[in-house]
Amino acid sequence: MWGAGMSAPASAGTTLGRVAAAGLDYEIRGAFKSFSGVPVLKNVSIDFHPGEIHTLVGENGAGKSTLLKLMSGVYTADRGEFILDGVDLGSPSPAEAQRKGIYLVPQEPRLMPDLSVAENLFLGALPVGRLGFTVDWKTINDSAGELLSAVGLNSNPRTLAGRLSLAHQQLLECARALAHGCGVIYFDEPTSPLSGHEAEKLFSLMNELRERGLTLGFISHRLDEVEAISDRITVLRDGEVVARTDRGGMSRSELIRAMVGRELSLTQRPTRSNVAGAATVLVVDGVESLPEVKRISLTVNSGEIVGLAGLVGSGRTELAESVFGLRGATAGRVTIDGTDISGATPSECIDSGLVYLAEDRGRNGIFSEVDLTRNATSAIVSRLSRRFGLLKRRAEQSDALRAAEELGVRAASMDLSIKSLSGGNQQKVLLSRWVLAAPRAAIFDEPTRGVDVGAKEGIYEIIEKLTADGLASVVISSELEELVRLCDRVYVIYEGEVAGELAGDQITVDALGAFALGAA
Amino acid sequence: MMSVAPALSPRLGRTGGGTVRALFARRDVQLIPIMVVIAVVSGIANPAFLSSRVVSSLLITAMVTTLMALGQTFVMLTKGIDLSVAPILGLSAVIVGFQAQDHGLPLGLGLLLGAGIGIVLGAGNALLVSILRVPPIIATLGTFTVYGGLQFLVTNGSQVNTVPSEYTRFGVASFTVVPGVPWLLIAGVIATVVAGYVLRYTVFGRSLYAVGDDAEAAFRGGIPTTRVTFVAYVVCGFFAGLAGVIYLMRTGAADALTGTQTNENLNSIAAALIGGAALTGGRGNALGALLGSIFLSLTLSAMGIAAHIPDEWQPAGIGVLILLAVVADPRARQGTRVRSRLRKKKDGTR
Amino acid sequence: MSTISPARPWRTPVWGGILTAALIAELVWFSAINRNFFGGGAGMLSQIESFIPTGILAMGSALVILTGNIDLSVGAMAINTSVVVGAALVAHVNIYLAILLAIAVTTVIGLINGLIVTLLGIDSLLVTLATQFIASSLAVSLAGDSPPSGFPDAFITLGEGTLGPIPVIVVIFVVVSVCVALLFGRTRFGRRVALVGYNPSAAKYTGIPVTRTVIGVFTLSGVIAGIAGVVLAAYFNAGRSDSGLSLLLPAITCVVLGGVDIFGGRGRIGEVFVAVLLLGYLTQGMLNAGFSSLIASMVTGLLLIVALVIKIAVERPAGATLLGALRHRVATRVGTLVRKR
Repeated sequence: MWGAGMSAPASAGTTLGRVAAAGLDYEIRGAFKSFSGVPVLKNVSIDFHPGEIHTLVGENGAGKSTLLKLMSGVYTADRGEFILDGVDLGSPSPAEAQRKGIYLVPQEPRLMPDLSVAENLFLGALPVGRLGFTVDWKTINDSAGELLSAVGLNSNPRTLAGRLSLAHQQLLECARALAHGCGVIYFDEPTSPLSGHEAEKLFSLMNELRERGLTLGFISHRLDEVEAISDRITVLRDGEVVARTDRGGMSRSELIRAMVGRELSLTQRPTRSNVAGAATVLVVDGVESLPEVKRISLTVNSGEIVGLAGLVGSGRTELAESVFGLRGATAGRVTIDGTDISGATPSECIDSGLVYLAEDRGRNGIFSEVDLTRNATSAIVSRLSRRFGLLKRRAEQSDALRAAEELGVRAASMDLSIKSLSGGNQQKVLLSRWVLAAPRAAIFDEPTRGVDVGAKEGIYEIIEKLTADGLASVVISSELEELVRLCDRVYVIYEGEVAGELAGDQITVDALGAFALGAA
Repeated sequence: MMSVAPALSPRLGRTGGGTVRALFARRDVQLIPIMVVIAVVSGIANPAFLSSRVVSSLLITAMVTTLMALGQTFVMLTKGIDLSVAPILGLSAVIVGFQAQDHGLPLGLGLLLGAGIGIVLGAGNALLVSILRVPPIIATLGTFTVYGGLQFLVTNGSQVNTVPSEYTRFGVASFTVVPGVPWLLIAGVIATVVAGYVLRYTVFGRSLYAVGDDAEAAFRGGIPTTRVTFVAYVVCGFFAGLAGVIYLMRTGAADALTGTQTNENLNSIAAALIGGAALTGGRGNALGALLGSIFLSLTLSAMGIAAHIPDEWQPAGIGVLILLAVVADPRARQGTRVRSRLRKKKDGTR
Repeated sequence: MSTISPARPWRTPVWGGILTAALIAELVWFSAINRNFFGGGAGMLSQIESFIPTGILAMGSALVILTGNIDLSVGAMAINTSVVVGAALVAHVNIYLAILLAIAVTTVIGLINGLIVTLLGIDSLLVTLATQFIASSLAVSLAGDSPPSGFPDAFITLGEGTLGPIPVIVVIFVVVSVCVALLFGRTRFGRRVALVGYNPSAAKYTGIPVTRTVIGVFTLSGVIAGIAGVVLAAYFNAGRSDSGLSLLLPAITCVVLGGVDIFGGRGRIGEVFVAVLLLGYLTQGMLNAGFSSLIASMVTGLLLIVALVIKIAVERPAGATLLGALRHRVATRVGTLVRKR
């Protein structure tokens, strides 16, 4: 017997034919979504049809994931209509969306590791026995077997899901979509963590699903895959649809241009004094930290801003964390001003003059309930001035205040907890934290993430001023424009290795985009 | 277009995996050979250890703990803990005890009363944890003292010491179904089977695992997480209440300190942990609770009889067992959640 | 150009104010119904004497809880100390040596707690649950059939003597409280404790040695529990051997009542101090009125729960319902049993 949400088996045919539901038309009209006042999607309209793979492409932050989350009910749109098979869905919860037949295969599979594969498939809609509250394991395991073979997953349905490899977990997510009778399935960057062979398997499954008439959506930035598998392609940029095409309608370079090209709205990079001959401060030599960082070497001189470009997942943050001692590295050396800091703890790095502005500000950066002063001085607790062992509060407070003022923090009082500040101001407080540590080199990881456009310029100015005063700066960013604006040199990282190094006038959005996408 | 991979061959077999290796990956199964070793070694050290008197006494003692451990398992599955099971047992024992002693309450009704008391007290915990979202440690520490105080109020200075033989005859080792198999042991096994059935074969039971593994995903998947955790604490209270009556049957006495004096809190938690449950949620089963309790009872008896370790050291022994149980489980040790476990290693496998 | 107003050197403790008001009300009430309560000031101080060991434990527990952990073994450690110092005194060991020895034992236990929690990654709840019983077993077996008693006069004056009008043990409590307050509020170590409690991950990223800090608080908890045990032995003129729960539960209640966030980071030792007085006088008042100690602990348990709920109600953002505030609060922290490191 099938529980709620299960579709009746289709007519005879291959296993897939037996278990796949029918695809439906799905249309988005005029979707808008903002987070904390920052618009992420603006007037997006896209349609998906049965028997088609419709791919969304765009660089990081273009809004693709947000759109997918809107469609699957994780977020609620501020405005816009979501129409399934001609019926306006309103704003469904994820459970409701699933019941209606929409399933999102997330970028990172989210399964219950202690439950069996079969049970994960039917989570939330377990087939029940006669009494209505008992679990019908026979049906579960048998149907699981069918579904697993339909997606090409060669696994015992009784295996614990936690034991599967990542690739298999993804296939399991696909099987889940089928288990819940979903006819509209979206894949969010599914191939990022997969090997070539595993990706092949996934694509063959997607093709099969398409043949069976399901409606499929796909997000990827790997243009090889996109061109091979898509029936239609829609390009998103800065939250808006900028191009639509059918298979083969646009060349690779046209696609890239659509994804990254824009009128440069930021001010041009100010010409910097000749940095040749400046001392080399930070040297990263052959650092390896598997699986994300395969082998990366770079150097940064005093007074220059070096960028690390690349896609999400290319290994830049992992590299920074390895250098800063937050992550183990299996090979390589790091020196600062000649001092070897390979394998040093974060505290030792800070003492040696290297600081790191973390990417995930909310989780790893701010102490959200804590006031600005203590947030600002958190990196130099050991150096705080004291008398007889007791901290001199006045001195600490005035130092923090001065640093905050110098960086232009806008806040009513230093006593406010940092969570009440805007993203831009929070970031400035964090920058003041690192400034107080008097660093020789600094790695800024996504320094303007979650910062609205008006405040970005302020942060650029801060970084430029610090660098002009002698800091060796590294900027990790997924916003190509930002890198063009700031950097003297850029290393492009692709899949854990340096794919290219650009300097001076070579740094253009097109060039960076091409390298980052592995296309150059 | 590639063809679909060959269909898998369905494995026959009940729970877990069919292969021997999968079987022995389960904590509850792992306990068996260890218990055999302990029993054999203790028997060599002191042959009196293996006498039927000792064995059946050991098993009966374990049955009280089994019931509590079953309840504790339900709660631990949801990433919680219940530190108030001792006074729940105690209150049940004294209330039913007085009714039996002074008013001749028959056994059947006594069991029902005990269970009912447990359900009510468990609901108190459930209210705090599921609805008011008070962290389980604080909530159950609080109810521990409140229920303990209630227990004192109820006894009001007196104690239960003459329970009708209708009750106590079950507690004697010689009261058996089949020679050598005491009634209480059967009762414990039945409770385990029923609890095991609920955990394995009902939607509610499976929801417990889901909530413990990833409450948010469970909620998104449509599982009523608040209701599920609520019932979990009520069930824990139910088992503790039942255990109180069983305690009465075994000892024939109860007073204001029943439960807390014999470290029932600790015993239930230890037994559940030994049996494979984890504070991190999502793991554990009924058989584990049973075997964990027997393991605990066995080890404590072995400590006392075979190794001649004085009784005062029993709590220490339990403490050590708890630490060992947790250390032996690398996943419980991480303290980190699902994401990092699912993250792949070098070669893409877990 | 800058419009940031500088940090105020002193922020008014709202919750502390509420607690103090409640304390004063309580003292007034007790004075009203019991003529002898005030006893010219000195009498009032002596009323709280039996609660002092708990109060000292509260200080040590507060430090641990402020890092986001919990130490359930403090009661048992104190008991242990009382037995060790008692046994040593009965064996005619020099007083100071006996005290040092006893405190050394719990310092080691605290250190072990810290090591297991950080290096093995086991949740502090389980670790200290286990060590609680290991420590109490130690105490029970040391105490033998009867706990040690009959101590030298010098030691007894520690427990019953006064410094001017103030009992010595009250002075000890105040000294410990001041030390812990200064440690937490005004030293670099204390700052690290707070930051680790607020966000252990951010603490790591900002270079704070989380492991060392956590081991430090557990060790300190052991030292302070040792001091509490010495006071216990001195005041009651006997060692004590039980599980120590009657010390543990009120101690944790004082910490929570004192406004310390159970998830770590937020809290003021000064408010815990007031909470100790509040609960101590409440307990003593109930005992004076003839209630049994079990009833008193029952009220303590109720107070624990109610304190948490009230505190959330006081601090909730404007407009949120109580239930919503509770849910939100738990959701914005990692609101599970297992604390993250």
